[in-house]
Amino acid sequence: MKVARYSWSIAMALFLAIPTALWANGTKEDATQGPVKIVYWRSLTGVAGDAQEELVKRFNAAQDKVIVESQFQGAYADLIQKLLAGLAAGTVPDVVLLDSPFVVLFAKDGALAPLDALVSKDKSGFKLADYIPGLLQDGYYDGKLYAVPFMRSTPLLYYNADMFREAGLPDRAPKTWDEFREFSRKLTLVTAGETTRFGSAFTLSTSTAHWYFQGAVYAYGGLVSDDKFGIHLSEAPAIKAATLWQDMVFKDKTAIGSTDPHTEFLNKRVGMVFGSTGSMGNLFSRATFKVNAAFLPGQVKNLVPVGGAVLAMTSTDKVRQAATWEFLKYMTNADSVSYIVQTTGYMPVSTSSMNHPDTVAYFTKYPERKVALDQLKFTRPQASVISLGKGTEILRQMVEKLLVGGMDPAKVMAETTVDLTKEYNDTFK
Amino acid sequence: MKKYTRPLRMSKREKRDAWTFSAFVFPNFLLLGVFVFWPIVYSLYLSFFKWNMIAPRKTFIGMMNYVNMANDPVFWQVLRNTLVLAASTVFVKLAMALGLAVLLNRKIRAKDSYRAVLFSPTFTTSVAVAMVWGWIFDPNFGLLRVFINAVGLRSPNWLGDVSWALPAIIIVVIWSGVGYDMVIFMAGLNNIPTELYDAAKVDGATPWTCFWRITFPLLSPTTFFLTIVSVIGSLKAFDVIAIMTDGGPMNSTNVIVYYIYQNAFQWFKTGYASALALVLFVIIMTITLVQTRLARRWVHY
Amino acid sequence: MAIRHRDLSGSRLIGRVLTHGALIIASLVIGLPFIWMLTTAIKSPAEVHLFPPVWWPEKIRWDNFVTAWESAPFGRFYINSIITSSTGVFLEVSIASLSAYAFARIKFRYREMLFMVLLAAMMIPGQVALIPNYVVLKHLGWINTYQGIVIPHVSSVFGAFLLRQYFLTIPDSLYDAAEIDGLGHVRILFHIALPLARPVVGTLTLYLFISKWNSYLWPLIITNTQNMRTLPVGLAMLRQAEYAIGPEHLMAASIFVLVPVLLIFFLAQKQLIEGIASGAVKG
Repeated sequence: MKVARYSWSIAMALFLAIPTALWANGTKEDATQGPVKIVYWRSLTGVAGDAQEELVKRFNAAQDKVIVESQFQGAYADLIQKLLAGLAAGTVPDVVLLDSPFVVLFAKDGALAPLDALVSKDKSGFKLADYIPGLLQDGYYDGKLYAVPFMRSTPLLYYNADMFREAGLPDRAPKTWDEFREFSRKLTLVTAGETTRFGSAFTLSTSTAHWYFQGAVYAYGGLVSDDKFGIHLSEAPAIKAATLWQDMVFKDKTAIGSTDPHTEFLNKRVGMVFGSTGSMGNLFSRATFKVNAAFLPGQVKNLVPVGGAVLAMTSTDKVRQAATWEFLKYMTNADSVSYIVQTTGYMPVSTSSMNHPDTVAYFTKYPERKVALDQLKFTRPQASVISLGKGTEILRQMVEKLLVGGMDPAKVMAETTVDLTKEYNDTFK
Repeated sequence: MKKYTRPLRMSKREKRDAWTFSAFVFPNFLLLGVFVFWPIVYSLYLSFFKWNMIAPRKTFIGMMNYVNMANDPVFWQVLRNTLVLAASTVFVKLAMALGLAVLLNRKIRAKDSYRAVLFSPTFTTSVAVAMVWGWIFDPNFGLLRVFINAVGLRSPNWLGDVSWALPAIIIVVIWSGVGYDMVIFMAGLNNIPTELYDAAKVDGATPWTCFWRITFPLLSPTTFFLTIVSVIGSLKAFDVIAIMTDGGPMNSTNVIVYYIYQNAFQWFKTGYASALALVLFVIIMTITLVQTRLARRWVHY
Repeated sequence: MAIRHRDLSGSRLIGRVLTHGALIIASLVIGLPFIWMLTTAIKSPAEVHLFPPVWWPEKIRWDNFVTAWESAPFGRFYINSIITSSTGVFLEVSIASLSAYAFARIKFRYREMLFMVLLAAMMIPGQVALIPNYVVLKHLGWINTYQGIVIPHVSSVFGAFLLRQYFLTIPDSLYDAAEIDGLGHVRILFHIALPLARPVVGTLTLYLFISKWNSYLWPLIITNTQNMRTLPVGLAMLRQAEYAIGPEHLMAASIFVLVPVLLIFFLAQKQLIEGIASGAVKG
């Protein structure tokens, strides 16, 4: 069978030729003289992701010395794992969108490039003092600057205003955690013995579960851990917050723990949900009902852990660092930040962006979105343990033990303290 | 390459054959050496160290990783989950596969179509499959809720419930593997001489007696083979768990390979992960060796 | 085909109906997830979130596929999967053929010993090797490269074993004749042994292609940028895109990944299933 034999050979040849050609194409690195090509690892999806892409596109169009390639790396936690893996392998990008507490972890091992020299050499009229001091603070480690604030946020409470009205609740968010519990009870619907709607949902996802819990602990006047890694989970504020959350799920049955609470919220299965200021754009644009954003409930204090991301430099050679620096400046200039504020709801991170005419006009038009700005006054940094390699994961497990396992809060807190201490020793000793 | 230093005369042809042989097997043995055999040695070595893969130096900590493992409640839970997964899938899957194989082995129409459909999950991408199943198990809008409500029950929050998540994973593993086992059983059934059944029929045996007296005992080599393959297969489970539950909630679906992955590539505890990998290696080697022993004694291929 | 009525006594008829009934139910249980995947993929977001579910959407939403395709660089994932799977298969089949032939036909003093070593490798689970392989590839600078995805998994134990069995069944007279004609081992392998083994090689190729196409854990670990990810890894990452992506898009994207595999399976299902049944291929 001549034909059969030929077709076999031809198939075999194609089978080989195509991949080889593509392979050659795929692995080729162009080392041309032209513009410097840098790689940006980003996180976040939806509106917050699109906004970054748009700014990258604008930067690439605005000048011809630097080309930025933006690569999505998943949620904050995934990006951090990928960065660790990249460091282990010696393949790192040039600039990363980093969850703010992690600056310490990476700066400690020398994975980030200090920016001080670039700042002092800069002659373009760049002013470091323009950044809001409280937000710039997280970029420092050991007296050196490693990151600039970019998409900073605070935890907020989002509620379904239509549902509130229907349940006979006032059109405002609960002011205390006790009131939050009360509102939750009123929003819960039970039909034929089955709960068809819950008052609220707590998040169980790795990147943020710890954040809202920290907020609750702060509200009760306590803290999760101090600057010296002393852990305060077994103290009254943390125990009180934990007990309240757990009781709402198991005793009241008016709240659920969910790995995807925002979808539950958008599907009208829950009435209140926590979110970052950065979720504002997404929730407002996707909801089929009226969404209001408000402060996280207080209790004895009105204080929240400031979160969100900074931009940090990971490139190692001078040429790329200089190119990356241009990109960092562009991403955090008044126009860009104002654009981020308007599209996503993140906070203005500099005085100039706060006074930007577009920002001012935006907040005049949507006064309800000003909540993030107002909350800026009531923030403190996050717990130090977040920066431990497994810190967020241990705290996520803690929330899971409370809300899924229904374990005794005091016992959970004691276990978590042991785990965090072990992790601290493992990281630093 | 081999050197012949011993005073042994080889003919020209033998010499040429030796070279050809070496050249032919060289690529395979090089790769096996680097990527299969060496890793065992290196894992053992790494298991005595604390190392995060980034730090230039590894810290020797002796047996501490093994001590930590013995004191790690999650490790014991992971081990238990792994064994529960292996045992329950094997039992249910094999029983179902055998039933289907017996039915399909009759002379019936559309045999090939049935076989193709039942076998199809074997070759489908597990990541995609896990995606669909995650959606099927959705407690609010999932397909499974339709059937559960139809019989008057309330759907559990499958993947979010500590006691239902592992059963959900077991269901997916059974669904994916039953077709393969069935095909192997069918091959085993074909090897049973039909004369035996004819003789039994003459003696007035019912199909039920035939099954337990003839089919089942004569199928024992196949059953044994599938048991081992299934157990080892479920000890290596990763994809479905990584997609559907991330080992949660509260580690209720965490199994050993996923725990190795978490430790090595999420938390960068390379030494601890290597110690875990070694435990997996020992378990699988033990099963394989037991299999070879038992197979020699019991089974007549 | 005409039904032979005379063969069917009452009880046999009932037996047949029951057999078909059981098989149809089993097929539905196995097939339903695929159908559910397809119908979800063409629903509107509102229809997806209905209970009881609608089986068929009012209007087929083909644009879900477009949205899913654009939500990640799926074109690139496809190229990566094709490149890594096909080069991997080619290398593994070549390596398997060479080893198999050597063990079947070439005389060598340590052959049996080496064969035992080869069989020993079959028992070692690849999952044990994740960390060491990562470290080796790091030293080679192969992290996040095609070589890195492919090379650690092209050594062949099972394929070599399988082909060796086949080569042993080829009558000695054929080999002898070839040797008399003055053919060397290389030529005998390529001109006689392999062409005769074509069905086995074909089945092995398809089987390896599918399993490489499906593999998730290793590519997940070894790739860290979007442009190097293979389809399963890229698909899994879609789950993290919590907003733009609904279940309908996830299902649409899952279909992209499954289509090539299902195509191969249904075109070659007889060959693949019978290959497995005859012990030709390990599951």
